[in-house]
Amino acid sequence: MATPMDCALLEVKGVSKTFDGVVRALDDVTISVHQNEIVGVVGENGAGKSTLMKILVGVYTPDKGELYCGGKQVPFPKNPKEAAIRGISTVYQEKGVIPLLRVYQFLLLGHEDKYVKFSRLQTDRMKKQAREILEELHVKCDVESYMYELPLSTQKMVEIVRAILSVRLAQGDDHMMSIIILDEPTAPLTIEERRELFGDLLEMKKNASFIFVSHIIPEVMEFTDRVHVLRDGKLVAQYDLSKEKITEKDLFRAIVGRESLETIYKAEDKRVVSEELVLTAKDLTKQGCYYDVSFDLHKGECLGIFGPAGSGKSEIIKTIAGLVSFEEGDLTVKGQKVKADELPHARLGKGIGYFSGETGKELFLNWPIAKNISLVNIEKIVRKPMPVISFDAEKKMTERVMAKLRIKAPSANTDCFSLSGGNKQKVSVGKWVERTPAILLLEDPTIGIDVGARADIYETILEMQKNGISMILVSDDPKEYSVLCDKIMYIKEGRMQRVFSPEEFGEVTKA
Amino acid sequence: MTTLARSRPITTAITQTLKTHPVILALIALFLLFSALYPERFLGPLNFSTILRQFVTLILFALGPSIVIVTGSLDLSYVGIYMLGSVLVWLLTPILGLVSIVVILHLEVATGFLIGVIQVKARIPSFILTLSLLVIYSGLTAYLAGGYPRSVKGYEFITATLIPNLPTAFLWSIPIIAAAVFIMKGTRIGTYLSAIGSNEEGARLAGINVDRYKILAFTLSGLFTGIGSIILFQHHGGSATVELNLNTMVWPLLAIVLGGTSLMGGSGGPQRTILGALTFTVVNRGLVLALLNPEAVQLLLGLLLIVSIVVSSRGLKGVTVT
Repeated sequence: MATPMDCALLEVKGVSKTFDGVVRALDDVTISVHQNEIVGVVGENGAGKSTLMKILVGVYTPDKGELYCGGKQVPFPKNPKEAAIRGISTVYQEKGVIPLLRVYQFLLLGHEDKYVKFSRLQTDRMKKQAREILEELHVKCDVESYMYELPLSTQKMVEIVRAILSVRLAQGDDHMMSIIILDEPTAPLTIEERRELFGDLLEMKKNASFIFVSHIIPEVMEFTDRVHVLRDGKLVAQYDLSKEKITEKDLFRAIVGRESLETIYKAEDKRVVSEELVLTAKDLTKQGCYYDVSFDLHKGECLGIFGPAGSGKSEIIKTIAGLVSFEEGDLTVKGQKVKADELPHARLGKGIGYFSGETGKELFLNWPIAKNISLVNIEKIVRKPMPVISFDAEKKMTERVMAKLRIKAPSANTDCFSLSGGNKQKVSVGKWVERTPAILLLEDPTIGIDVGARADIYETILEMQKNGISMILVSDDPKEYSVLCDKIMYIKEGRMQRVFSPEEFGEVTKA
Repeated sequence: MTTLARSRPITTAITQTLKTHPVILALIALFLLFSALYPERFLGPLNFSTILRQFVTLILFALGPSIVIVTGSLDLSYVGIYMLGSVLVWLLTPILGLVSIVVILHLEVATGFLIGVIQVKARIPSFILTLSLLVIYSGLTAYLAGGYPRSVKGYEFITATLIPNLPTAFLWSIPIIAAAVFIMKGTRIGTYLSAIGSNEEGARLAGINVDRYKILAFTLSGLFTGIGSIILFQHHGGSATVELNLNTMVWPLLAIVLGGTSLMGGSGGPQRTILGALTFTVVNRGLVLALLNPEAVQLLLGLLLIVSIVVSSRGLKGVTVT
């Protein structure tokens, strides 16, 4: 089936979708995908990206709208299988890979019936088919290796190949163009792995079209041909990046509807850090992770530990939190040496709180917001002398936190699993606002959340710093250091290289 | 006007309760069903007192394990400890006199603590650990008793009738249940234990001494089973059995799950087990009164277990199925 180049491969016109008759998820949205194109769909969490993609693969049915495939109007798919027949398939953000399957088994999973002869599975034919398609799409990996043995970026590529293959098998046509939806494919990847993935994707553009769903602006700017911007369920802007010249700031403004974070916080005058030492590390060493790490942390100061993935920055912050033990050196908290193998509860007793942006780790998803927040603050809500929990105090505390961080939820009793990603993160941060530890360790505090939620969290963290809470930050996002830190320690292969001021650091990372 | 304003929150409270405790509906429905099917047999005072007697047995065995299940572990050792405790009472009463009943309590608390320590230090599944302990204890019981059931006299005062038609053991169980529910709902211990069951890593990050609280959970389980066993010892006629009864082991678990405590941990607890035990007893009595043969009753109870597990894992873990 030859598609004329001037006609869109896929076009969705005027789609609207309302949930429960109240929540307007999509409002009259139109997007199109041409042949050999990477189309970006960007927006904050809750902007309607996911709903739109779920309509395309048949998980939801829209209330209104039309779908055109190659210029002809067709009904919306009712399930992923029908979507595959129309040429659409999805690669989800995570959990798509089955680690204990071999590459060829994974690629053809669900299509085994085509490779059965006399009720025996013809593995040779399966391997051959897998090898052929991997070669055609320029993905280099051994079909016999297990999925978990591959690097993360290759795993993603194999998933994409599988999506393309499923479209072809659904239609029985090897030359059909497929449209692959990539739902935030880079979330679990490091910066280097992202580069690799995108290199491969550009190569693959010859064989397929992609819809790239993301909220990471630089990625979208660099790798997509056209961008659709969604905000509150509406299509607010679309740019043809090959023709128009737009900057990251423009795109940011379109997504959030306000100025960028750096502009907001640059004007902020830096606070004065007191001379009081709260934590000293002297020649901390853990073989294979980090060597001779020394630094001082003053009251109200924020130290950033920056370096590439695998540099040891994550192990250092986990050591201070008590999740990893160190082998040599001294760690002194408020003038007292601490033992190397103390657990997090002992460190919290000394005033060290730890927060990681991985919500799965931090939150109790089947609990209401109130309990999630009161867990580390239980001293505050327990009556005396009988240690009985006051649920009234718990509710008041939660409402304080929810107002401060602008957590959007029906009530303090809402279960956390029903919250959006940004709001979940806010709950995780919020519990430390009430606890006010002497030192708060932040590891990727805003990973995977949209810009609006990010701004609210930064605001809260900066206010805590003003109130004299010292912090240590580890993150993948260099901009975060410029916003939050007073000094930044650069670390490489487990060894300290040098210390930057935020201004110097801003200069260096810009280059 | 005022009545309307007052009745509103009450109705919402009722619908809320029914949503989170669907077993209440089942309890009411079953009660009405059995009352309608055979009113004389089911509604008589004799039946009520039997229901209460069985309820006491169930709840006293189930309280301890429901505390452990909240943390995401499993404690199956209760029957074994109860049996060993009883036979020790039989051995020691001639020597120590009536004080020997307290032996049960010590044995249970010590065992609970031991299980906790082994589980935490060796990091093995509590299910298989407590099951092994059950086997050891029941073997030890048979050995000590010489292979015969033994009866002990002198403890009749524990269950001496105070109110006619009301089992005294039931009266005793009320403060025990209240204490268990209070610990799990009103204090930080309950919060911490269910935090561990809900997300162990998260609990650790929140600065909870996970190992210590896990040991505490097993010790509490031992304590409650211990107090319960003292009452049950006489409730069951003051005798030490040597044969492990499958029903005594499985039914308390069934009551816990029926009450809506998820076996995955993180939710539920003793307060739910009360409902579960009551419902289970009503079902059991209803089926027995229906004059079905015992094997059929067994079969139906097994099916009930499966259904309640499905309901509790779907409806209460908060998993949305897409």
